[in-house]
Amino acid sequence: MTANKHALIDHFRMMLDMRHFEEACLEGVPTREIHGELHTGIGQEAVAAGLAPWLRREDALVSTHRNHLHALAKGVDREKLLAEIFERENGLCGGRGGHMHPFDPATRFSATGIVGSSIPVALGFAYGFKMEGVSDVAVAVIGDGATNTGAFHECLNMAAAWNLPLLVIVENNSYAISVRFSDVSATPTIAERAAAYRAWGRCVDGTDVEEVWKACGEAFDHVRGGGGPALLEASCFRFQGHYEGDHDTYRSRAERKRIRAEHDPLTLTEQRLLDAGAATQEELKRMREASRSETAALLATVRAAPMPDASGLHRYSFVGV
Amino acid sequence: MTEPVRNVRFSQAIGEAIAGEMEADDRVLLLGEDVGRSGGVFGVTRGLQERFGEQRVRDTPISEMAFTGMGVGLAMAGYRPIVEIMFVDFVGVCLEQVMNAMSKIPYMSGGNTRVPMVLRTAGGCIGSAAQHSQCLWGTFAHLPGMIVVCPSSPYDYKGLMAAAIQSDDPVIYIENKRQLNKMSNTHPVDAVVPEGRYTVPFGKAKVVRQGSDLTLVTISASVGDALRAARLLEPEGVSIEVIDLRTLVPLDTETVAASVAKTGRLLVVDEDFHSFGMSGEVVARVVEALGPQALRQVARHAMPDIPLPAARTLEEAAVPSEASIIEAVRKMK
Ligand SMILES: Cc1ncc(C[n+]2csc(CCOP(=O)(O)OP(=O)(O)O)c2C)c(N)n1
Repeated sequence: MTANKHALIDHFRMMLDMRHFEEACLEGVPTREIHGELHTGIGQEAVAAGLAPWLRREDALVSTHRNHLHALAKGVDREKLLAEIFERENGLCGGRGGHMHPFDPATRFSATGIVGSSIPVALGFAYGFKMEGVSDVAVAVIGDGATNTGAFHECLNMAAAWNLPLLVIVENNSYAISVRFSDVSATPTIAERAAAYRAWGRCVDGTDVEEVWKACGEAFDHVRGGGGPALLEASCFRFQGHYEGDHDTYRSRAERKRIRAEHDPLTLTEQRLLDAGAATQEELKRMREASRSETAALLATVRAAPMPDASGLHRYSFVGV
Repeated sequence: MTEPVRNVRFSQAIGEAIAGEMEADDRVLLLGEDVGRSGGVFGVTRGLQERFGEQRVRDTPISEMAFTGMGVGLAMAGYRPIVEIMFVDFVGVCLEQVMNAMSKIPYMSGGNTRVPMVLRTAGGCIGSAAQHSQCLWGTFAHLPGMIVVCPSSPYDYKGLMAAAIQSDDPVIYIENKRQLNKMSNTHPVDAVVPEGRYTVPFGKAKVVRQGSDLTLVTISASVGDALRAARLLEPEGVSIEVIDLRTLVPLDTETVAASVAKTGRLLVVDEDFHSFGMSGEVVARVVEALGPQALRQVARHAMPDIPLPAARTLEEAAVPSEASIIEAVRKMK
């Protein structure tokens, strides 16, 4: 495992930046700078961070309501992303899309607030890549809840039937708002459904960034190599409520406490770095502080930016408007 | 000592109606995401699963096409299902079952098959942008075959839900997210929710404020905004009659026309999209009923024809509110 000391430190830094980015978003809620629902990926950083190194700029990624970390993994500009989430005119989409609907053609990143609806859009990118004969991959990141939509099944079938370069990554945090995956699903795992479509499928511990990195590597090899669709299920834990303001009464206080204490991907990675002698407590502390202060500076910049002016209400509604 | 007036949340008023009907008729059952264990994202169905069991209050997977279609099948099999689509925006993934099955089967079957089903959903704006803030009642009203209910007062929230469950026709019942967490006493009229069972009939608009200069027709949460706006405009010397349509289908043209016959001026306020919807329909019906000469002035104030933007500054410029209604009335003077 020591071969990857450097990679692990990079992963750790990325996860730190992700965590701090999400914490910066939390600050916008009480101030109503983010005045609608906010869903964060706090606790789920290892999935996006393990995926990130495999993503090329030409690959497409379509995400969900809980999309910030996937955007960062895809290389979306942090400032423009945070500005969009904070509803600013200089955001990725001029403050029109907001936190659930960021679109960045430069990195081929997009998202949707409708559960399950990211997969068909990724399928479209995959179809295009196949027609063009390129080795780019279309990635759909979804939650466990989305695997019970019709779109999930329809898309895996089509992708397999036509051998399309589609990679579906499921962040299985066991819950769709209050509904437990196990209460409403026929199969104990999601990955095992891949067999029904003759697709590649496997499970991975989504709190272990190295394991995610390795599993993503296998999945990308398969899809980029022309093997057809892949389904990677990463088990993980959502630390916050479903959205900020969710009373989260469906999980006991003890369960929520245990999740934070035992399944924090940052703590797990820190421990691994220490055990391997790859970093000292002091170095880790400095990394944390550096990341925190960079994010604080970013947040201050975003907060200084103007809100969209009401005169621009109809702008962008059609080409040329 | 007088009894203290009961003050409940709008969400609770709906929950009481559902509980009352489930108590009275064990064919009534509830399907939807998060309706059971958590009692709904707005707490509407809190306590119902404990009370009526998991069979009758069923947490579903995110499989709207399946459970909305299940509602149709259950209704055909003699049950009275209430299907919850959390936000009306999500109906996109199961519109098929709504527009081609639920609403068409009663007629297509030559009346031999009834679909006594309620589709409960929440519309209106809570700041979550284009895919989470639509109303869409005009869309459902455009598609023939379903009763379209959009309550505004706490009294109606309960009474119209009870009527929806008892109805032998398919009903879409659209709550307003802006109201669900509010207390009933924040609403200017009909704020008291009786504890017992009662119904409010479909197709009977209510004149919620008498006036002589202008007829303001609206529905859902905008009724409260309109009433507050009307009160604030009183000192400017405009006397506004406010009409709450309560249901879009059936539409009570008679009550609206009678008012316009008196005032000669009509303003329709709609939180749903401007074009091809409620506001145009109401104007057309009044013109048909009274002839164009009966109207001295007509205006529409509705959600502009754009996907709702995320930014608060833009949202405030788009969504009809108490302040924007005041502006709309002033423009008519
Ligand atoms: C079609 C549709 N139905 C319902 C919703 C409401 N909703 C938003 S997120 C969510 C739960 C999603 O769960 P999951 O896919 O597991 O993702 P997670 O939130 O756990 O990341 C639901 C039901 C929606 N946005 N779209």
